[in-house]
Amino acid sequence: MVVLLAVLVLGGLAWLAWRKAGNNTSALAGDVSLRPLGRPSGGRSIPAGQLPGGRIVASGLTKQYQDVKAVDGLSFVAEPGRVTGFLGPNGAGKTTTLRMLLGLAEPTAGTATVGGVRYADLDQPVRRVGAVLEAGAAHKGRSGRDHLRVLCQEAGLPLARADEVLELTGLTAVGDRAFGRYSLGMRQRLAVAAALLGDPQVLILDEPGNGLDPEGIRWMRDLLRTLAARGRTILVSSHQLPEMELLADDLIIIAGGRLAAMGSLGSVVDSMARGGRTLVRTPEAEKLAAALGSHAVVTPGDAGELYVTGVDAAAIGDAAQRAGIAIHQLTTERPDLEAVFIELTAGKAAIR
Amino acid sequence: MLDSPALDAARSTGTTPLRLVRAEIMKIRTTSTWWLFLIGFTVFTALALTSNGFSHHFQLYPQQDIPDRAQALAQAAQARTPSGVAAIAASMMTSGQFLGVLFVLLLGILVVTNEFAHQTATATFLTVPRRAAVIMAKLAATACFGALFWLVATVLDGVVTAFYLHSQHVSTPLTGWTVVRSVLLNLLAFVLWAVFGLGLGTLIRSQVGSIIAGIVVYLGGLAAAELLFHAIYYFYREGWVLGAPVIAPSVAATVMITPGRAFPHAPPQWAGLAVMVGYALVLTVGGIVLTLRRDVP
Repeated sequence: MVVLLAVLVLGGLAWLAWRKAGNNTSALAGDVSLRPLGRPSGGRSIPAGQLPGGRIVASGLTKQYQDVKAVDGLSFVAEPGRVTGFLGPNGAGKTTTLRMLLGLAEPTAGTATVGGVRYADLDQPVRRVGAVLEAGAAHKGRSGRDHLRVLCQEAGLPLARADEVLELTGLTAVGDRAFGRYSLGMRQRLAVAAALLGDPQVLILDEPGNGLDPEGIRWMRDLLRTLAARGRTILVSSHQLPEMELLADDLIIIAGGRLAAMGSLGSVVDSMARGGRTLVRTPEAEKLAAALGSHAVVTPGDAGELYVTGVDAAAIGDAAQRAGIAIHQLTTERPDLEAVFIELTAGKAAIR
Repeated sequence: MLDSPALDAARSTGTTPLRLVRAEIMKIRTTSTWWLFLIGFTVFTALALTSNGFSHHFQLYPQQDIPDRAQALAQAAQARTPSGVAAIAASMMTSGQFLGVLFVLLLGILVVTNEFAHQTATATFLTVPRRAAVIMAKLAATACFGALFWLVATVLDGVVTAFYLHSQHVSTPLTGWTVVRSVLLNLLAFVLWAVFGLGLGTLIRSQVGSIIAGIVVYLGGLAAAELLFHAIYYFYREGWVLGAPVIAPSVAATVMITPGRAFPHAPPQWAGLAVMVGYALVLTVGGIVLTLRRDVP
């Protein structure tokens, strides 16, 4: 009798303990686990410029397909509060890299993290990272609004959020239209709308400008700049180099699956400026060429100007003064991003 | 620009598994496939009811001018006994099953393959990186729709059967065990074939590929298994060889839904059920393993 009673009491206690433990874990899954990552539970009001955990880090990222190494030991960082342009020729491994970053493709080696956590391990990933991958990615027969509402339901966000992002992306008027009848620009906007559903602190976009008209491109640029100014991390891949010069703070350039250059837009362009040339106009071309010495290579232009490489503008000016040669124009021609890009990726863009 | 009253007002939205199942049901509801299927399904059920009704009518009331009239009259007398009428009622109450389960099989296939055909798999797995949870939610949603189709058929069958029995001047309670058992086994068939389709779609991502595979397995499996095992029986004259076609899903389903023996040498009913559950399990678990291991295209 006593034994039976003891078993009952012990069993009851064990059951209570088990229930308590169960409750604790479910509470953790909800709110508390967000805190270590720097997000107030339930809320989303984060002071601008202060988004801990928004740093994207790739280290030694490698993807080996059967016969090609699409990405080869790639390491880079994208910082919060900045727009980081991710550039590379076709087949350089940009999309593969982004898909590994987002847990859609498994790296052969290396890691990719957002705020120190692999995407697949993020709690409520939609509220931390938004991604724009393919523009054509919704069921043709489903309306844009329903597409977003399904994603809200899946992510545990209120369905009303779908209408907010439609408004934000200027799609309210076509929200009930079937996705199959959207123009390419509308599809691109819908993809952005989906990425913004969780108001994430990190935005990863693969060629978001494709299919957008000039107004759309400007809208996209303003949106991304605004988000970066509010402390968000923006990683955006693109081929559109002039657009990147307007948009990006930092650049990551890859070629053949490897890192070709990384740094601020200015520093990446400047790093190639040493190979730039200086335009000189002078009435005494031969005399100047002789005065510059053997380091300089002087090439005459079509309109009587000279292009000098091997020495910089200051050295040319000093030499001219010493030789008493008049200089009418002295201009350092810095390469633009396109020239830098071509130079960095030349020869590595072959179809692999 | 980015202020969101909706997100600010966000509260806990229930447990994750239920949330995902609701999302999957929403995916099915927000496209036209399911109700187009339901219309086609209803039409086929009505046709099956008509055809069954005629065949049972001639069973109860044999024609005057058939060759073997004595045997037909004996069968009619048998059909009018309480158990005979109950069997007719059970047959009427499961009308439309043959093509109905094909519809839910295809729906199950579409639930998965649509994600790849329309490239929504990316958005889905970005939202829920735990891919196994997504597949399990799809399984639950698909089973729900299988049950919905069954419910529609059962309501239609029930109404028509009640009028039909009255018109044939026979009566049996539709709540009798013979009828209820058939209707419940019918539910099992709808749910298991739906899950079968889902598993198939998870294994074969190509929409066309898995639809063809599904139709071939469903329609061709029966004949192929019969043919194969009768050929084997020609060399090994053992009774179990004739029961072995149960390893084909269509045969297993037939065995499962038929009280007693579905055909001579047929294995018992539970064996059919076990084979069907086995297929659903193996396909789904295999599909989940593949989904976890493969990259999202």
